[in-house]
Amino acid sequence: MKTILITSAVILLLLTTSCVQKKHKKTVIFTLDVSKIESIKTVGIRGSDNPLSWDKDYPMKAIVKDSLYQVTVTGETGRICTEFKFSINDKVELNGKENRKIYFDTKNDTTKVSFAFDKD
Amino acid sequence: MKILKQITKPILLPHWSQDLLLAVPRIICGYLLTVEFGSPKFGLPWSNPDNGLGFFEVAFWFPQDVAQYGGIFAIAPAFFAWMGAFAEAVGGIFLLLGLQTRIASFLILCTMLIAIFMQQIQNGLWNCLPALGFLWIGLFYMILGSGRFGIDYLLTKKK
Repeated sequence: MKTILITSAVILLLLTTSCVQKKHKKTVIFTLDVSKIESIKTVGIRGSDNPLSWDKDYPMKAIVKDSLYQVTVTGETGRICTEFKFSINDKVELNGKENRKIYFDTKNDTTKVSFAFDKD
Repeated sequence: MKILKQITKPILLPHWSQDLLLAVPRIICGYLLTVEFGSPKFGLPWSNPDNGLGFFEVAFWFPQDVAQYGGIFAIAPAFFAWMGAFAEAVGGIFLLLGLQTRIASFLILCTMLIAIFMQQIQNGLWNCLPALGFLWIGLFYMILGSGRFGIDYLLTKKK
């Protein structure tokens, strides 16, 4: 009886520890068109997956002043997609609408996406 | 086998309508546990495909959360995370069906105790309410079993 209990415990331990979802390093390059917006002070992105958060901006940098902003975000996740929104001057876009969602490139570690601010 | 039969056999209330009434919270809570709370962190056929979970896999982020409880949870976070997620996701469907109700209820009760005392209590009593609700459900059906409206009753009914 004791042997059965110990064997069951070991099998259960092995089973449970081997059944954790695998994480993968994913990189997403976000490019944002802000050419229709005036008096821009800060541009950022918010989202659900580390290192993004819904509470504060992850800053984006201008690659063409007052027109195009870009950021490269790298994180480890087991999900196949990520959700996010952009913000300008701390005002988050798509108010009352669903979050933007992109699916990671399955062939490459890096996914490149482009959007226009506050447009679906 | 005798013990298993004792664990499986439900306590029946005097009238079937009382069992029917008590089946309602069991079915609703079982549904909520398996669909709303369990499936985002444990791979089941009804888990959201966006989460990328394989069958019976625990979500990558859950062992990290569990490890933060400290103590024994930091030593074997994958084990406790898997057990907790299993209790919610699979225990929930067993509770809903009234199959091995007492075992499922025991697992749910243990999981809710951990959720209350290791996770939610520092956020205030108000945040403990969902886990407390499921704790009482677990306790309740661990004593009663499935009642007349569960598979346990059909399995143990004398012919």
